[in-house]
Amino acid sequence: MTGAAVLDHAGLAATFARGRMATFADPDEDLVRRVGKGDPAAIQAMVARKLPRMLALAHRMLGDAVEAEDVAQEALLRAWRQAPRWVTGKAKFDTWLHRVALNLCYDRLRRRREVPTDAPPDRRDEGPAPDRGLLAADVGAAVNDALARLPDRQREAIVLCHYQELSNIEAAGLMDVSIEALESLLSRGRRALRLALADHRPGAEGV
Amino acid sequence: MTAERFLALVAAYGADRRRWPDGERPAAEAFAAAHRDLAGPVLTEADAVDALLHRSPTLQVSMALRDRVIAAAASAGGQVGRTGRVWIDRLSLAFGAGWAAAACAGVVAGVIMTGHLTADAQADAVLYQASLLGVDDTEVLG
Repeated sequence: MTGAAVLDHAGLAATFARGRMATFADPDEDLVRRVGKGDPAAIQAMVARKLPRMLALAHRMLGDAVEAEDVAQEALLRAWRQAPRWVTGKAKFDTWLHRVALNLCYDRLRRRREVPTDAPPDRRDEGPAPDRGLLAADVGAAVNDALARLPDRQREAIVLCHYQELSNIEAAGLMDVSIEALESLLSRGRRALRLALADHRPGAEGV
Repeated sequence: MTAERFLALVAAYGADRRRWPDGERPAAEAFAAAHRDLAGPVLTEADAVDALLHRSPTLQVSMALRDRVIAAAASAGGQVGRTGRVWIDRLSLAFGAGWAAAACAGVVAGVIMTGHLTADAQADAVLYQASLLGVDDTEVLG
């Protein structure tokens, strides 16, 4: 575990104490309290509610299923440890959990950059240009590939706002940027995706 | 809302109004309704990108991962003192009961299947024996 992956409750509360989340209702409050007491039903409910969400986040951030499972598992493990001492009212539990998972993702992305490798990063064989876009079944994989090729911060902004369906305030808080900066990242990311996936757009040949 | 702000908002959040910031949604919707010639093409373009993003497959949680995470809950509970002891006991009881039920179901299913297999084997033996001359049923079935 690196320092970046460590974020305690107080740290997150400080992030949001800058006036961006003065008041909020936490839909997970009761569930976290019950998990903190070791209620097996609550633990199962928490797994059902959060594990798919953390897995999806990590998969789209890392583009690797095995690493995504590791991150999701570690994030939930930290949730189990945090639940008994969770203080309500300082931050939403879902936001805290996103921060934990994102830090774990960035630890792994950083390690990838630090470890030199002879092998080029995995890239899908797109085939001859005229054939691209012909296989509708490949569109999903092409979207994931295009996401993986975005700069990390643009990908993070799109994953948080589009896939994780966080509000712009929550996403900006998690990324520690202003709303304006978040919107800039979103716009550039969406523009890059539009160009990268031009052959796969509805109406393109074979799609 | 200005045209410039509307274009920036759609460029960032896409065509789905539910993703637009709460504070700006009514004004943006009003702008789109009042300026269809400008908003229409922009929204169509953004909607195409939204549709592509929706095609990204979502990784499904495997049973193995789910089991590991729940097992981690038990071990995490064990690291927080007496309360943790209760965690482990209750989780073991809850999930252990599930495993026990599954095991019992497996035994019952096994017995039923074995019964069918035995009956099938006996039927096969009778048919085989019937095709032979001079062999008594008791030699096959006992």
